[in-house]
Amino acid sequence: MMARPEAKLKELKPADLRHDVGARRDLVVTVNRRSEKRLIAYGDEFLFEKLPVGTRVIYPPPPLDELPDPDQAIRYALLRPENADPLFAQLNPNMRVTIAIDDISLPLPQMRSPDLRERILNQVLQTLADYGVDDVHLIIATALHRRMTEAEIRRVVGERAYKQFWPDRLYNFDGENRSELTLLGKTDHGEEVWLSKRAAESDLLLYVNINLVPMDGGHKSVAVGLAPYQSLRHHHNPTILRDSHSYMDPKNSGLHRSANRMGRLVNQSLNVFTVETSVNTRMYGGMLDFLHKNEDTFSDWDRTRSGAFRWAMRNMSYELRRQTLHNYRSPYGLTGVWAGDTEAVHEKALARVFQQYSVPVKGQTDILIVGVPFICPYNVNSVMNPVLVQCTGMGYLFNMYRGKPLVRPGGTLIICHPLRDEFHPEHHPSYIEFFHRCLAETTDAMELEKNFEHEFARNPTYIHMYRYGHAYHGVHPFYMWYWGEPARQHLGRVIAAGCEQPEVAARLGWDSADTLDQAIAMATAELGHSASITYLHLPPLVIADVE
Amino acid sequence: MSVLREKAGRSAHVKPRASAAFYDLDGTLCDLNLVHSAVFILTNMGQWSERAAYALSFLARAPRLYLAERKDRQLLNEVLFESFQGVSADRLFSLGEEYCERVLIKHLYPQAVELIRSNRELGFEPVLVTGSPDFIVAPLARHLEIEHFAANHLAMARGRANGRMARPVMASDEKARWCTAFAAQRGISLTSCWGYADSYYDLSFLSALGHPVAVNPDPKLRAAALSRQWPIISFERPSTIERELADTLDGAIDSTGSTDDGAA
Repeated sequence: MMARPEAKLKELKPADLRHDVGARRDLVVTVNRRSEKRLIAYGDEFLFEKLPVGTRVIYPPPPLDELPDPDQAIRYALLRPENADPLFAQLNPNMRVTIAIDDISLPLPQMRSPDLRERILNQVLQTLADYGVDDVHLIIATALHRRMTEAEIRRVVGERAYKQFWPDRLYNFDGENRSELTLLGKTDHGEEVWLSKRAAESDLLLYVNINLVPMDGGHKSVAVGLAPYQSLRHHHNPTILRDSHSYMDPKNSGLHRSANRMGRLVNQSLNVFTVETSVNTRMYGGMLDFLHKNEDTFSDWDRTRSGAFRWAMRNMSYELRRQTLHNYRSPYGLTGVWAGDTEAVHEKALARVFQQYSVPVKGQTDILIVGVPFICPYNVNSVMNPVLVQCTGMGYLFNMYRGKPLVRPGGTLIICHPLRDEFHPEHHPSYIEFFHRCLAETTDAMELEKNFEHEFARNPTYIHMYRYGHAYHGVHPFYMWYWGEPARQHLGRVIAAGCEQPEVAARLGWDSADTLDQAIAMATAELGHSASITYLHLPPLVIADVE
Repeated sequence: MSVLREKAGRSAHVKPRASAAFYDLDGTLCDLNLVHSAVFILTNMGQWSERAAYALSFLARAPRLYLAERKDRQLLNEVLFESFQGVSADRLFSLGEEYCERVLIKHLYPQAVELIRSNRELGFEPVLVTGSPDFIVAPLARHLEIEHFAANHLAMARGRANGRMARPVMASDEKARWCTAFAAQRGISLTSCWGYADSYYDLSFLSALGHPVAVNPDPKLRAAALSRQWPIISFERPSTIERELADTLDGAIDSTGSTDDGAA
């Protein structure tokens, strides 16, 4: 096969990293009497709170420099893949190709156009067209997430793919359409590997991914994104998730071990060509970039902007505030793109992601404070309900570590969120029943799994809403609850600070406090006044390498 | 009075039901309403001259029907059923069969049929609770293999409809009362039952059940469902979805047995 001119491209790397490990120690700041108030995410608002003297505040590393020409980097990755032939060399006109794409749960908030998926698709589709490949389907790898709307898909995949493929050859995965699923086999652990039939019967399966955190990507992309309940139940369960320390450290995660076993079986059966990307932490830019900064280093301009921002947020109606925040598009920058063999690609992507997020932290803390923001992977353009607050606080933010958890065993987690009893009936119908019925009986994940999971997973109304509406699958709230299982096993107490409805916190098995000060007082009353306190600063994201 | 039909001899073959799923008919399981059935029956009765007379009398009632619909669903039923005055019971049941076979079945939402089937598999006894007349509902229930239904019932005198409805009229609160009695009779807890309806007039019916679902709801029911955090689902009668559903059913049949449900 003739080499294309692009093969002469040089490999593109981000500029030399200015933030080495030594410098990153400066990202852990100890609060003193002169310290400024700290910004804390609080649902669809932000708090500015004075933290007790001695509190450690962990800041995310500054964003890595982005690649100067993302399109060129993507082209290079497709032409020089890892442990695989270049994409063009794998093509022939008679083949059947399926392209699976990460859904709206990544990245958060949604990125500015053009989305990375659009950039990759444009080049992949052009290559396929150049080589005469016509039998191409694009599947949004939603697994049991809600179906993306037409407008959401259009935005993510871009005009070219939308106009050419929607709706017959560009669609959401349907994990309940039995005729479109196939059983590839069982792993040596007895895990059934089901997959989209279209993907399984393709000569080439491409996966287009965005890695926001180290939990994403790798075998988790295909083996989870294109799989139904029958497969997901093997790793989305309390037993496996209890053995995950943490989700952000794939080598020590039972969830990833299971997904890897299943993914390897998929790759033995299919020709999978993975395209992974990593982005920097430029979650908020322009007028909102003060949200990333150490408050002690705020300039007058930063203070003015933060004051104006809080004033505007305070004076908006709830719905307008929610819409404004969800409509914000983040100026994420591409820090790396790799293509080819799933494991080889993921190894490189993971290294870059950790390069971006990791901060060394000495020792654990007695009390960990986190602020749960307005968004998580499961409420894009939707409502952050109490079950998702639990998932974000105990499932994601607690797990932002490698080595040991940031908080010691038996310690206290303080979660800042208003915690209202509100749900999106169209997106989260089964969450409502889960919260009001199942959690009223027990908060024990094992009991919930045994007594209720199957009923919800097979519920015809929820299945209908998942297949034809825009609802998360009936079993999804269970997964969200299981997600918090390692934290539940580890922590002594959880306190919801700023909780507007204490009965909601009680339903989750948490204590509640009106203010953060009160929550800290409650925690120190139990753990002693010398209890150490750490605040994990968000946004953006940070992963603590706890020594 | 409302009717409760049971097929003798069938229950012995059916496994005991843990709970029940109650379905409204018009607008919920099909995209037709009472007026369609009335028009069909009235325009298919007797000779041409009689048909014309019935049609004219129905047209004459149109303003009352409109006002009744805006005011009260029960009143609508009563005004509508007046049109059947003088028609023999035999004729009504025969036309009901014909209407069901020629029109109603074709207008059932495929997704609704699938939902009934899936609920039944999970142990939810399907029950129709509707304001439609029994001579239409009975053949439909047979078609859907539904043993129990509650429907309205024309009062008869000397084998002919007298234009009045037997009491109580199956509408609004009466549906809830009927479901409560049905559940009590079978030792079922209403909190475990599912209910599906499309109209704001069914609010009390849905409220009586543990799992109410608004199906293609009218604006008032939609608002009520949203404020109560009830699931809202949409059924469609489109060619594409029909095709997908047919594929799904084929797939389900193929996979029945060893791979029917991974969790089983």
